[in-house]
Amino acid sequence: MSLFRSEEHVDRWRSDRVGGATVSVGLLCDLAHAWWGDRLDAAWRPRDRAQNQAILDDLGLVDDFWRLP
Amino acid sequence: MAGRAYDAAMNDDDIRLRNATYRLFVEMDRVPTVDDVAAAVGLQVDDAVLAWHRLAEAHAIVLEPGTDQLRMANPFSAVPTSHRVRVAGRWWFANCAWDAFGICAALHADGRIESTCPDCGERIDVEVHDQQPDDPSLVFHCGVPATSWWDDIVFT
Repeated sequence: MSLFRSEEHVDRWRSDRVGGATVSVGLLCDLAHAWWGDRLDAAWRPRDRAQNQAILDDLGLVDDFWRLP
Repeated sequence: MAGRAYDAAMNDDDIRLRNATYRLFVEMDRVPTVDDVAAAVGLQVDDAVLAWHRLAEAHAIVLEPGTDQLRMANPFSAVPTSHRVRVAGRWWFANCAWDAFGICAALHADGRIESTCPDCGERIDVEVHDQQPDDPSLVFHCGVPATSWWDDIVFT
């Protein structure tokens, strides 16, 4: 899970690697805030799978790659 | 990252210990040990060790394999990585690029992220202000599908 200069850099780096998903850094930032924003809350409770999946879905990460087990 | 409904393995005391672990992680100037966390919540160390392992089993924290030492309190890394984040004058290590932004999110603060492009090897610096990165040309690549994130979380 890495940052790249651009999609061209991803394509060159991937070469024969199969699969993976690439998103904009803006979407990554939104995802990070939705996913990790509560981690230091004094009353933190674990989310269940549906809650985690809803975070991904709400950001448009809806294809199979982003489908949680 | 948390993918499954692992919370069934955690009881309320475990979650209290988890929350104390995270609090100490950001309050201390070093990675907390299980002794630190046990003392903070008034538990015997042996009981805290068992709780940490239950939390690790539930993917609430990550321990170094075969030890009672913290490896990850996601998004924070307990060991140096190639993803560094500076927030309010302090450097943190993140487990991956997602977690680097997650550190700003968890701390509810602006920050500066330093990473490296795996293709060209050049350093990437990005500032986060008001939950937005200052360089929209960057992209994030995830090579492991969500179904497999926890198969090898260090690799992921």
